[in-house]
Amino acid sequence: MALSTEDVAGIADYARIALDAQELEEMTAYLNDAVRLLEPIRAYGLKGVDPTYHPIGDLSNVMGRDVVDASERALPLDDALRNAGSVEGRYFRVPSILGDGEGDR
Amino acid sequence: MRSLPEVLEDWEAVIGLEVHTELTTLDTKMFCNCRLSHDDEPNANVCPVCLGLPGALPVPNRRAIQSIVMAGLATNCQIMRRSMFYRKHYFYPDMAKNFQTTQGPVAFCMHGHLDLEVAGEHARERPRREGGAPDDRTLPIVRAEDGSYVAPIRILRIHMEEDAAKMVHAGGAEGRIAGANESFIDYNRCGTPLIELVTEPDLRTPEEARLFMEKLRQTFLALGISDCSLESGSMRCDGNVSLRRRGETRLGTKTEMKNINSFKSLHDALEYEICRQAEVLEEGGVVFQETRHWEPARRRTVVMRVKETADDYRLFPDPDLAPFDLSDAFVEEARSRIPELPDAKRDRFVTTLGLKRPDAAQIAGDPATAALFERALDLAGEKTAGTLANVVVNLLPAYASVSASQAASVARLLAADAISFAQAREVLEAVDGSGRDPEAVVDERGLRQSTDEGTLRPVVDVVLERCPDQVRQYRDGNAKVLGFLVGQCMKASKAAGVKGNPKLFNQLLRGRLEA
Amino acid sequence: MASLDELSCAQIARGVAAGDFSAVEVAQASLSAIEAREPAVRALLQVTAELALAAAGATDERRARGEALGPLAGVPTAFKDNMHLVGTRTTCASRMLEGYESVFTASCVQRMIDAGATPMAKANMDEFAFGSSTETSAFHPTANPWDLERVPGGSSGGSAAAVAAGEVTLSLGSDTGGSIRQPASLCGVVGLKPSYGLVSRYGVVAFGSSLDQVGPFGRRVEDVALAMDALVGPGRDPFDSTSQDCRADFLESLEDSIEGMTVGVVPELLEVKGLTDEVRQAVGRARSALEGQGANVVEVSLPNIASSIAAYYVIAPCEAFSNLARFDGVRYGYQEPGCATLAEQSSLSRAHGFGEEAKRRQMLGAYLLSSGVYDQYYYPAQQVRTLITQDYARAFARCDVILMPASPRTAFRFGEISDPLQMYASDMFTISSNIAGNGAVSVPLGLGRDTGLPVSAQLQGPAFEDRRLLTFARALERAVDAGGGLGKGAPVAPGCAGRGGEL
Repeated sequence: MALSTEDVAGIADYARIALDAQELEEMTAYLNDAVRLLEPIRAYGLKGVDPTYHPIGDLSNVMGRDVVDASERALPLDDALRNAGSVEGRYFRVPSILGDGEGDR
Repeated sequence: MRSLPEVLEDWEAVIGLEVHTELTTLDTKMFCNCRLSHDDEPNANVCPVCLGLPGALPVPNRRAIQSIVMAGLATNCQIMRRSMFYRKHYFYPDMAKNFQTTQGPVAFCMHGHLDLEVAGEHARERPRREGGAPDDRTLPIVRAEDGSYVAPIRILRIHMEEDAAKMVHAGGAEGRIAGANESFIDYNRCGTPLIELVTEPDLRTPEEARLFMEKLRQTFLALGISDCSLESGSMRCDGNVSLRRRGETRLGTKTEMKNINSFKSLHDALEYEICRQAEVLEEGGVVFQETRHWEPARRRTVVMRVKETADDYRLFPDPDLAPFDLSDAFVEEARSRIPELPDAKRDRFVTTLGLKRPDAAQIAGDPATAALFERALDLAGEKTAGTLANVVVNLLPAYASVSASQAASVARLLAADAISFAQAREVLEAVDGSGRDPEAVVDERGLRQSTDEGTLRPVVDVVLERCPDQVRQYRDGNAKVLGFLVGQCMKASKAAGVKGNPKLFNQLLRGRLEA
Repeated sequence: MASLDELSCAQIARGVAAGDFSAVEVAQASLSAIEAREPAVRALLQVTAELALAAAGATDERRARGEALGPLAGVPTAFKDNMHLVGTRTTCASRMLEGYESVFTASCVQRMIDAGATPMAKANMDEFAFGSSTETSAFHPTANPWDLERVPGGSSGGSAAAVAAGEVTLSLGSDTGGSIRQPASLCGVVGLKPSYGLVSRYGVVAFGSSLDQVGPFGRRVEDVALAMDALVGPGRDPFDSTSQDCRADFLESLEDSIEGMTVGVVPELLEVKGLTDEVRQAVGRARSALEGQGANVVEVSLPNIASSIAAYYVIAPCEAFSNLARFDGVRYGYQEPGCATLAEQSSLSRAHGFGEEAKRRQMLGAYLLSSGVYDQYYYPAQQVRTLITQDYARAFARCDVILMPASPRTAFRFGEISDPLQMYASDMFTISSNIAGNGAVSVPLGLGRDTGLPVSAQLQGPAFEDRRLLTFARALERAVDAGGGLGKGAPVAPGCAGRGGEL
């Protein structure tokens, strides 16, 4: 079933990508074409085939030690904030969260 | 609104809990080596990983995995050898990557249970006949003659995840998000190892919910995996509750409660919500599936948001994290690190030391108290166990800092009848926080009571001679007069320069009067 | 008087160690080549002259103190602009990260520098590595040094072009579906996509986390071998959970004979629509060359490889959506000014910070991961991945390497492929080894008979047998050398050679 512009608008809303009317049309066309390209995946008989999420053979249980690193990777405050668009003192700043009418989490 | 006992006559409350516990006793975060923050300045403990910088990659903290396995073993969970981390996506700036690294359908720990003991008036709140058709995993409830019962509360899962950043909301009232015109983010907490425990909806009363949380907290404290502070938020609990008519099998619509930061809040929020839902339903209304905020000051819950559709978090296995296939050795190492848990400790105190069950439970429930008790017991000897338990349960909570050796010393003095319970308070007051020896305080203040019959017998003789009226009254059946006579003995002995033990005077007087 | 165009990595490192020239002189030669050639090629987003001269100076000081120098001492190197290096901007060729200053250095970059390499520049790429032509760079396109009217391929087009143009001797790229091998093919240089887990991804901005792999470009197989030894030598990277140990004996096994070894060929792959005759012929010549050195050829089959593109365009967009979700304009990246609410700020920052292809891929991923859809595409795609991996395992039970094309055709003109789905077909021969995680290398075979542009062959090997890949690549290189005309290894593109770069 083809995606409608409403469907695509919903995805864009979720993915936080603002699209104007024309972009929405183009994106809808693209997504429908792209999904058609993926059809071979749905044509397979895959019963009993395990998925491979990680192409790493039998590698498992990779863990690190609970030891503080205060020098090698720890970021000084000015590095932490260096690329931020808005800061306030030692904090990152964001505009009103609920102004969009969304609820608290 | 009707009261809870009234409501629970007609309605069965179906309650489930989600409990988040930060592994505060670890040194570093879940997926990087940043120091765990306690009261550090904002954004002091961050690195590319926990700040979600492009190009950073996670590495799981081995001790965090060990801790959650310990938590699972201690709550009778099945340890799932094979599991993975997943990415759970939602756009919110407290998650540096806009996804949370958490677990998928299979958690490290699945299908456990904790047994709750409920007695007294609260035991009557649970319906004798359950509404829900028991599924094949429902565990039976054991009831005693007196109505008290043991309820196994099933745990669906405990999974490993990372905590979010802290946000400060400015411009609104009371720092709440509503009405704020900007917010500030501190990523110190972001990436703190967090375990989330989800119960099956097996709880039926607010008291059971409170007891479950208390027991869980005691267990995690005993494991040493967290400081479990509800006040500071290192242990957080969301409760969900729905009502159904007694005897009904279908579940009602549930609401979820947030902002619960004490055991009392948990109990009171559930109590309020049960009564509120009953009122809505009894008036023919509908309960909406929504998240509600507990306001402790006003003792009520208010709507935070209505859930119209299920959130779609686009969960998928995290490709940056290798899957887990925990070995026997790993699980056994975790098991070997589990100390004696509160229930086992309580039972041991009862069976081997003869403590009263409530005292034993109270001491065993708190690791610090239990440790102090056991150290003091080593010093004072097992014969004083009952007295020591009495000291620990009834006296020590009033003092800030009494050591095990001081507690042992006070218990020994009490057991030897050298001081009274009232004097024990005076002694503890004097030694609290000072490291002084209680024996020395007793001697210095002349508190030590004589228990030497040879010294006290003549005093009794004198008092009986002096008080013929009271002697006659006693023999006429007025037993109360004995107290007066003991007092006279105490006075007389003091005048003679000794401190008689009132218990012994009591014994000697009776012996004489009833001879 | 030498020219950087003629020197291998080993010759540079030996020359610096012997004092024939200093590392600073080599860096200056590279800078002069960049100055002369870059205006036409535009392979680079940032030339890090100060950093380069400081690093080269440090190399020279080490020599002066009598310390041993690394195997890449003084080698001018460029890094794809998705790799962090403190002191540089890391933009991923996106407006989203325009001006982003790296606050840490990627493990792969650090290892190259630790081996003595001199960091000359950050190389252009398709935005966030989404593309096969470097045309989606938000800043400028890069020209193919062999024909300035044509693309260098992508997404690591800048890294390939900088080496082909002789601006640098080595470069690093990243390969998610062919992004090292396809531009290497189009630019006539050697490009290795190592097995997944061989080279650390820490500090490389992620596109598809289970597919991405960092690898080197060079004009000689030997240069690539030296770079690999530097990248894997220090052992697995504790900062990358998927990184594994591997022996650093690439150089050591380079000249091993292939006599008696077996090359697999997949007949149906040579009949694929879109494969040009000149590329097919070139692969045929490569087969003969390997046979000529004593290798046996067997036919093998990879029955599920045809589904690679479909599986890839499920898995890669899903991972890309997830990896790029963090770009919301809060902690870093483009922030839309004047927004009253967070949702508005995020949506507009992402709408205006990302280019079209980056948005398309993320939208596709967000759709494919949504509940109900996940089970129809994502899960089966990962099952198909298992089948493709099993195909390779069966094939490699019968052969040591598989020979096939890298790119179906030689470099195309700017704007020639405008339909994104048609562009996706550029990766038809490369994608399957990203899906399965095994290593693969594109080896230049001279110029195509029809277009006169570089053609290549691809060799694919079993996971963690990358050393064997380079042994075979070297065998092909020997044959091309022997065939005459190309000198030692691949030459600097003729339009660029000799302009600057004197040492």
